[in-house]
Amino acid sequence: MGRIIDWARNRSPWILHLNCGSCNGCDIETIDALMPRYDIERFGIQQKDTPRHADILVATGPVTEQMAPRLKRVYEQMPEPKLVIAAGSCASTGGVFYDCYNCREGIDDVIPVDMYIPGCPTSPEALIDGIVKLLAESGKEAQAERLAEKKPEIVEEGTPIDEAVPKEPDADRTETDDAPQEGADEPEPVEV
Amino acid sequence: MSLELDLATGLLYLLVFPGFAFLFVYGLTAEYLDRKLYARLQNRVGPPVVQPLADFLKLLAKESAVPEDATARIYNAAPWTGLAGVFTAMLYVPVWSEQAAFAFEGDLVVVLFLLSLPSFSLFFGGWYSGNVFSRIGTTRTITQLFGYEIPFFLACFAPAVAAGTLSTSGIVAFVEANPLYVFVLLPAFAIALLSLQAKLERIPFDIPEAETELATGALVEYSGRKLALFRLTKDVELVVGAALLSALFLGGPAPAGAIEGSVGLVAGVVVFFVKTLTVIALLTVLKAVVARLRIEQMVDVFYRVLVPVALVQIALVLAVGLYTNGVIP
Ligand code: SF4
Repeated sequence: MGRIIDWARNRSPWILHLNCGSCNGCDIETIDALMPRYDIERFGIQQKDTPRHADILVATGPVTEQMAPRLKRVYEQMPEPKLVIAAGSCASTGGVFYDCYNCREGIDDVIPVDMYIPGCPTSPEALIDGIVKLLAESGKEAQAERLAEKKPEIVEEGTPIDEAVPKEPDADRTETDDAPQEGADEPEPVEV
Repeated sequence: MSLELDLATGLLYLLVFPGFAFLFVYGLTAEYLDRKLYARLQNRVGPPVVQPLADFLKLLAKESAVPEDATARIYNAAPWTGLAGVFTAMLYVPVWSEQAAFAFEGDLVVVLFLLSLPSFSLFFGGWYSGNVFSRIGTTRTITQLFGYEIPFFLACFAPAVAAGTLSTSGIVAFVEANPLYVFVLLPAFAIALLSLQAKLERIPFDIPEAETELATGALVEYSGRKLALFRLTKDVELVVGAALLSALFLGGPAPAGAIEGSVGLVAGVVVFFVKTLTVIALLTVLKAVVARLRIEQMVDVFYRVLVPVALVQIALVLAVGLYTNGVIP
């Protein structure tokens, strides 16, 4: 049963986009990701209009003081289970607004964040990739929890749950990814 | 037929075909086809086949909160009422032959009533969820209801007037016997299509939902299981509405109805799918090619244009009836 629900959750992430004082750059890129060109409905991703329907909160911007209580409230309005993505450099660390008198330092100053997507602004491809990776990650966590429920002795014996889950071969990564890329880090020979 | 056999077939109708299981699967499939065609018309790839099922299961597994300001009892009961309404309506719509699963004289009125239940359940659920957006959404739902119900009823009564009966099965049998009536009833079919689109609150009549203004209107506070039920209601309503239109205006299982035995049964079901899918495809194309109207434009179009056309249609049907009976030379 849990497996079916995980499958359904992975197949149908509904996102809610919230601007927490971003310069609008990240928002335009987030909206870009929703356009027919990227066609995120392929992954079942849909933009929702109310926090009650959403599974993933995509928050942009450094969180202005005015927006902070509202961000918290929107987060609390979302039904469980929920995930939060901080989209953009500002949302991750404060970015160019770092140490600003009227801003917090990123989304995680206010609510817990599950995934940071850097970039100023973040590109739509990065955002889509982030959502897909986040779902894979949360799927693994759910799997670990199920295992812990079924075999409590693993947790009791002191093995962390994460390690108790058998590693699946990562289909996305090809061998070339792992192979050291020759010459990539070597500086160009300078001719005098 | 013995009582047990009656009970068994009754339960079969109710739970398997054309009842619960069939409507569930066909409703989700119809949603998939609708979304896929919509995506293709927008030059996109569109969702995978299992997408509606994944959405449904995910929503079932999510937390379903009741807001503090909501009137909990009505808020919780609303999704079930609409769903029960549309599931019951299907039992009176003919599927595989001109005979519906259950039929009696006057069941057309019952079907029309049951098909407006989802709108009312949406109204009660939205109104009592205690949110400003959903209140505006529900007032728009009701305003829109007054707009489309009268043309829809008039359009559906045109074939009833032609057949001289208020039973859906009787109308199907009549249109099957006189296939040329399909052309006479074309204007009524168009009106019913538009009204069905408005009933389902799809573009261009999605004024009560209006994402950009109202954040999904009446459903704004609904989450989890209850939202899943509302979405399922919409899907099933689409299927039942398409089935009703194909029965009233397209002659139901028309070319296949005359074939006897199990071959006729299969052929009837195939014809049913072809006709309902045609209706659904028409609705999807309409959704893809036009933009949203404003609420007063919508009521205006329905009252000023569609009601007079529907009345003329009924007059036309009466005239044709008199002509074929030889009263008018
Ligand atoms: S990360 Fe860059 S583009 Fe995004 S909100 Fe901050 S300053 Fe604007």
